[in-house]
Amino acid sequence: MRSNNTIIIGAGRLGGTIARSLNDRSNVVIIDKNKDKISKLQDYSGFVEVGDATDIQLLEKNGIKEADRFIAVTDDDNINIFLADLCVNVYDVPEVFIKLKDSRKRKLVDSRVNCICPFDLSLDYFENESGNEVNV
Amino acid sequence: MKIVIADGNHEADYIISLFNTKINDLVVINEDPDVCHYLSLMNDVPVMRGRCTRENELRMAGAENCDLFIALSEDDYKNYVACRTAKQLLGAKRCIATVINPKNVKLFKKLGIDMVVCSTYLLGEQIRNLTSIENMVNSLSIEDEQIFIAEIKISEDLKVRGMSLKDINISDMGSVSSITRGNKTIIPNGNTIIETDDKVLIVTTEENKNEIIKIFQRKR
Repeated sequence: MRSNNTIIIGAGRLGGTIARSLNDRSNVVIIDKNKDKISKLQDYSGFVEVGDATDIQLLEKNGIKEADRFIAVTDDDNINIFLADLCVNVYDVPEVFIKLKDSRKRKLVDSRVNCICPFDLSLDYFENESGNEVNV
Repeated sequence: MKIVIADGNHEADYIISLFNTKINDLVVINEDPDVCHYLSLMNDVPVMRGRCTRENELRMAGAENCDLFIALSEDDYKNYVACRTAKQLLGAKRCIATVINPKNVKLFKKLGIDMVVCSTYLLGEQIRNLTSIENMVNSLSIEDEQIFIAEIKISEDLKVRGMSLKDINISDMGSVSSITRGNKTIIPNGNTIIETDDKVLIVTTEENKNEIIKIFQRKR
């Protein structure tokens, strides 16, 4: 049964900040294979797991079947895309967010997945603030 | 046949050497400049330096509409995304991804990769088949493990020895497609009698595999 569960993959600044802000509204677990990143999470009291998030047994142990929200913000676009495909096609997770450094890879991702692309966001911000249109 | 070989070092070298003939159009793309140099030197083929998960770089290498796309990098997820890019954006007819983690074989297939190859997975399957059947000489699973082919050596003490295929009657579960007897290969019919030291090639489905092997292993 789904009951407001969130899984976050990648305990960097972005993953850590999202985890902290969602923790009082949702049951959050944050997974990263880097122990140091997990131990450096500040002001976060939710669940943590040190391990490889591409291992489906680890994901199932952490409740991917019951997850309402899945957020993959590792530094590897390929892993984030794979995890998004897994969430949409195998586990039917209702809400999926991934980070893509290369926004052109968005074409590969299912339309149900929300892509966070820092490059596009920065360009949008520049265009809005400067009034200049940038041709990519 | 147009074949794209993406990444890989010695693996790429081997695959290129197998398919570098006049009938094939090879496109080789590799991220590492040293490997590009090595591959082109060893095989006398043009090698494009580029990233196989980037649509534009694959296009520049000429990888569109290939018959077969093979991703050979050491990173399972890079191979996954490269295959997805080739298939979804560049019209590849068939994709093969190599993987290090055996758990990814079934998973990648489920997510749409046509063929996933893992040496550890193959080793495991071979050992499993060899240890489960004592007189099996060879076995092979094909078509996503839906078809199972086994070669069984007939010893003196087996019940099927001396029987005709008609009497063994396995027709609803599979078939004996050939029998190797000494240097001769026999294409059998219902009247063919199984003899000692025959090597019997059985083709069956995954679900009937155990039942049919049981029949061929019954002792007298």
